[in-house]
Amino acid sequence: MQQREEKQLEASLESLHARVAHLKGSLQSFIVKLETEHDRLTWPSVLDNFALLSGQLNTINKVLKNEKTPSYRSQVIIPLLLSPDRDEELLKLTEQRVPVFSHEIVPDHLRTKPDPEVEEQEKHLSAEAARIGPEVAQKQIQTLNKLCSSLLEKLNNPRDDRDSETSALRQNKPSFNPADTNALVAAVGFGKGLSKCRPPGSVPSGHPGQPMMSTGPTLQQVTIAGTTGHQAGMGGQGTQQQPGQPGTTFNDVHQHFYTQNHHVSCSCNDLILHVLFEQVKCPATSRLTSSLHPCILTTDELPAEMLHFVIQRLVYEAKMLICFVHFQ
Amino acid sequence: MEAPPVTVMPVTGGTINMMEYLLQGSVLDQSMESLLHRLRGLCDNMEPESFADHELVYLLKGQQGNPFMLRARRSLLHPTAPWHLRYLGQPEVGDKSRHALVRNCVDVAASHSLPEFLNEMGFRMDHEFVAKGQVFRKGAMKVVVSKLLRVLATGNTENTEPLSLSYLVELSVLAPAGQDNVSEDMRSFAEQLKPLVHLEKIDPKRLM
Repeated sequence: MQQREEKQLEASLESLHARVAHLKGSLQSFIVKLETEHDRLTWPSVLDNFALLSGQLNTINKVLKNEKTPSYRSQVIIPLLLSPDRDEELLKLTEQRVPVFSHEIVPDHLRTKPDPEVEEQEKHLSAEAARIGPEVAQKQIQTLNKLCSSLLEKLNNPRDDRDSETSALRQNKPSFNPADTNALVAAVGFGKGLSKCRPPGSVPSGHPGQPMMSTGPTLQQVTIAGTTGHQAGMGGQGTQQQPGQPGTTFNDVHQHFYTQNHHVSCSCNDLILHVLFEQVKCPATSRLTSSLHPCILTTDELPAEMLHFVIQRLVYEAKMLICFVHFQ
Repeated sequence: MEAPPVTVMPVTGGTINMMEYLLQGSVLDQSMESLLHRLRGLCDNMEPESFADHELVYLLKGQQGNPFMLRARRSLLHPTAPWHLRYLGQPEVGDKSRHALVRNCVDVAASHSLPEFLNEMGFRMDHEFVAKGQVFRKGAMKVVVSKLLRVLATGNTENTEPLSLSYLVELSVLAPAGQDNVSEDMRSFAEQLKPLVHLEKIDPKRLM
């Protein structure tokens, strides 16, 4: 009887030892993997490792639950000799982890009871369980089982009526208002609902009677210097100008007829448009008016109509200037 | 001094006419948070960029019918950054089956004297507003969620009030003309934002 038990104990210990060694090996490889490859690691491979560990723990559990395994609780390990000297055998056995079999390591390694705090908590829990009584406990177990099974069912079987339930819920709380959409798009598109700014003075209505700038400068340097020679060249159309023409631009600009260094250049080398209106002096009143503001526009692409328009405008203003001066 | 005639072809060789593909929608203030969460998940992983811009829309009424519109925009958060001038053409009336609004788009950087310059050129400011919100990006697609605020006193951006209780959501892509797979990609992205937001092609002329 004794021998059989002993044999059983040995056999079970052997198998347990083997399982634990497997577990240790897989833990080690996992740690190495985490330490060396942590930036290349993907979640599925980490999950695989965890699955492996959990499988091995399961087999250990099975080994322990096996009926052939004697109850380990009845076995006690008593240290027979404690010494503070280094033990080479022990070092070899434990892979250099335990150098000395002394009274420091014994309480940790040969422990059979859990920590005192853990013991306290376990006692509390078992007292609690005993307190509520078996019927209540059974009911709680049943509710838990029911919840888990319904959740599992919901997760495993996507149903169409489930979708319609949720969509019905969402319809009660709409997250956008189509009227608002229209209002916002109209506001951004053409300023509907935003207060319109009316500037003082009327808006320029164009120049009636002026021929279109088909001969306007395009992509080259256009320098309109202030000498009369040039004026004569460009002022051919000056007879058509109307000094009383309504239009804020014209009124602003016509004061800037210059005496010198009035420079309009539209260069489009890398499509940079510089417009510089320098300080001008009104010969009639000898008053220095402030310069128009320069502006630098940079772009990679500019459609022809926009450029055309801009240059047209500039040329028109410049021509008006020159015509005015000419008439003066 | 005779100058060669202006051509109406594109200005220099090598410039591409960029088109803006646009889908618009809106989301109510209370659902904004969920939209932001969804966009953070769907779009490229970066900190969402907040912006507060003051946009002024200038019109030049020529003797022809349609006034010429230019949009000047400046950042209220970065006052020293250059102004941004934008020209948006008429939406292309093409294919009804195209899923996005397509229009010609020109973007230009300008210095800080842009408003005075435009005034001298003859443009007049038609309206202005302040837009505050966030920008998300996914590849070439840009999603802008913005609150439009009405400016109560011209030029004073401190005193503003919201235009509506919703945020405007715009999905846009800048691409050369003729790429229809762009609108397909935009449509599939817009699908993912349903039913929180319905992004669709809204013709502004219809709302006039």
